[in-house]
Amino acid sequence: MIAETTRQERRRTSKKAEIVSPPQGFRLPKPLRRLRRRAPMYALQAISELSTRMRDLTGREVIDMNRIMEVVQFMYQQRELARRGPNYSVDDFGFDPEWTESFLTIFKAVYRDYWRVETKGVEHVPASGRALLVANHAGVLPWDGTMIKTAVFAEHPRPRHVRALVASQFMGMPALSWFLRRTGQAVGHPDDTRRLLERDELVLVFPEGTRGTGKRFKDRYRLRRFGRGGFVATAIRTQAPIIPISVVGSEEIYPMIADLRPVARMFGMPYFPITPFWPLLGPLGMIPLPSKWRIQFHAPVEVAHLAPQAAEDQHLVMAMADSVRDVIQRGIYDNLKLRRGVFL
Amino acid sequence: MPPQRILITGVSNPLGAAVARRLAPQVPFLFGCDVSDPISALEEMDFVHADTRLSVIGKLVRQLHIDTVVHLAVMVDSPRDERSIHETDVIGMMNVLVGCAAPSQVRKLVVKSSQAIYGAGPSDPSFYSEELANWDRYASGVTRDLLEMEQLVSEFALRTEACGVTVLRLGYRVSDDTSLAKYISLPIVPTFAGFDPRLQLLHEDDAVEVIVRSVVGDQAGVFNVAGDGVVLLSQAIGIMGGRNAPILPPYGKWLSRMGLKMLGGIDMPAHLADFLAYGSVMDCSRLVAQYGWKPAFSSRQAMDALARGRQMEQIEPPSPPQEYELQVYLQQRRRRARLLN
Repeated sequence: MIAETTRQERRRTSKKAEIVSPPQGFRLPKPLRRLRRRAPMYALQAISELSTRMRDLTGREVIDMNRIMEVVQFMYQQRELARRGPNYSVDDFGFDPEWTESFLTIFKAVYRDYWRVETKGVEHVPASGRALLVANHAGVLPWDGTMIKTAVFAEHPRPRHVRALVASQFMGMPALSWFLRRTGQAVGHPDDTRRLLERDELVLVFPEGTRGTGKRFKDRYRLRRFGRGGFVATAIRTQAPIIPISVVGSEEIYPMIADLRPVARMFGMPYFPITPFWPLLGPLGMIPLPSKWRIQFHAPVEVAHLAPQAAEDQHLVMAMADSVRDVIQRGIYDNLKLRRGVFL
Repeated sequence: MPPQRILITGVSNPLGAAVARRLAPQVPFLFGCDVSDPISALEEMDFVHADTRLSVIGKLVRQLHIDTVVHLAVMVDSPRDERSIHETDVIGMMNVLVGCAAPSQVRKLVVKSSQAIYGAGPSDPSFYSEELANWDRYASGVTRDLLEMEQLVSEFALRTEACGVTVLRLGYRVSDDTSLAKYISLPIVPTFAGFDPRLQLLHEDDAVEVIVRSVVGDQAGVFNVAGDGVVLLSQAIGIMGGRNAPILPPYGKWLSRMGLKMLGGIDMPAHLADFLAYGSVMDCSRLVAQYGWKPAFSSRQAMDALARGRQMEQIEPPSPPQEYELQVYLQQRRRRARLLN
């Protein structure tokens, strides 16, 4: 007999077979492997079946398949991103746009369903070119920055990434600094602001800084000092229009009753908040309250008519910073009037 | 006037040897000095055993009528103790400057410095421009030495107008023998938990190229030199085919450094530990503006080149005829030393 007859024999002797199926150790039996591969599909079918049944029974949408599909999409995207290995590029600030966009689906769900953000005037943000976004800062953790970024990405006709500037204390913290850098944030240093604006990016600054996030609940919606107006000087130097933003709702997410200064100093943090739930309930206390949010983008303040030398004029810079602060404060009062209640 | 008589200090390290090889055909007289024996033979170069830490270097510069000094005997990435690094960097620089001062004919001084001069910290801006190196920040051993060294150089440059002084702050290099390259190419790389810093790297060829350009050209001042773009530490580890193990605690770096030294035999200087936690990126726009040249390898390409070099089979290059002479010379030296003892 010259040719091997059975399939097993042919597979054993052929060179090709070795390449196609390398020798392996333990493997699950074939039916189980197939089941494992198809399990997500079966689960989705079951959920959609359940959703239809529930709708027929109760007459309204109990399980929204769109939301489920968003979660599925997020998981799928994460798997795809993990598959990139080291073959992706970040910009000089360490910003990874693809990775950030995968997280935006989650933030969009929070934006729409949890805080039910109503955004006005997003058309004031330019579709291209540089701009300096200036907002009030509140809440213990910078969720307001996240929501402004989501608003511009979700509501703007031409989605753009907003690059926020972060207080340097946060850039030294493990995990947080990594996440902030990877999603496009930079250090709150005049140098970084200038460089980002020169690259025609949208830059978000909170001139109140940690004075804004670390204020007590009784001081809510009262703007702090706007630094020394450094943001205006940078805007004039780089000829970037200033867009004031009023955010309402961020004050109530963590009602801060007291601030434990000595503990904060021990951990190198700007403040250590005491809320009704933190640190009493442990990690559960870190879940923000579902207040109703409103974000208003105001008309841009143009600086194009000013010469770059005007940035040295302390009087002009302070006057402009004050006028921006007034616009934001007035916007906050207007939006507070429009809100029916804290959680409605 | 093109340089006629060049002295290269620290010619026995790989960078110095490469610079000497590049400069040899361009100048009539080339001298090299170092404390250890040369690593490769070069017929056009006269090698002198001299220590920059001793004042003999000043006499050497004058006696040989040197007109261009390339000072590469600056230790940044060295397993030696801090004291000997300080001696080499600061005292060595001082002796070289004495040699270059008034009555000598030195018209050009090129000094190798490093990105380590900026240190790395969480509150620093995302990019370091040349004027950001200062004493205000916490400075680890090597950073302090480099700051002191550059202060000496800048004072010298102010005093001596006849001599053009170029200081090159070279980015971190990943050639085979640097401790950064050794660290990144470990099979399992222990990193600081919760940090993924941006690394900016410089390819060895670009480092040689910029030194040669500074010797030949007439640019003066301080320049940042590093590749375009950044590469994240996790990416670099992935490129080298290792595994990222975020197990080092982010606080108390000295403890991690001691642990690595004792358990893994990995030497991680303090400035490198900061670099691997916070990252440091330089702004090289001044270099591009004044030299009209920028490094050919971006940070990513430098990393790829290291990975390729590791994959390729190490083939021993055929030794040139001078190599035999070098071996004979070294043997004679050793024999003479034994006889003297």
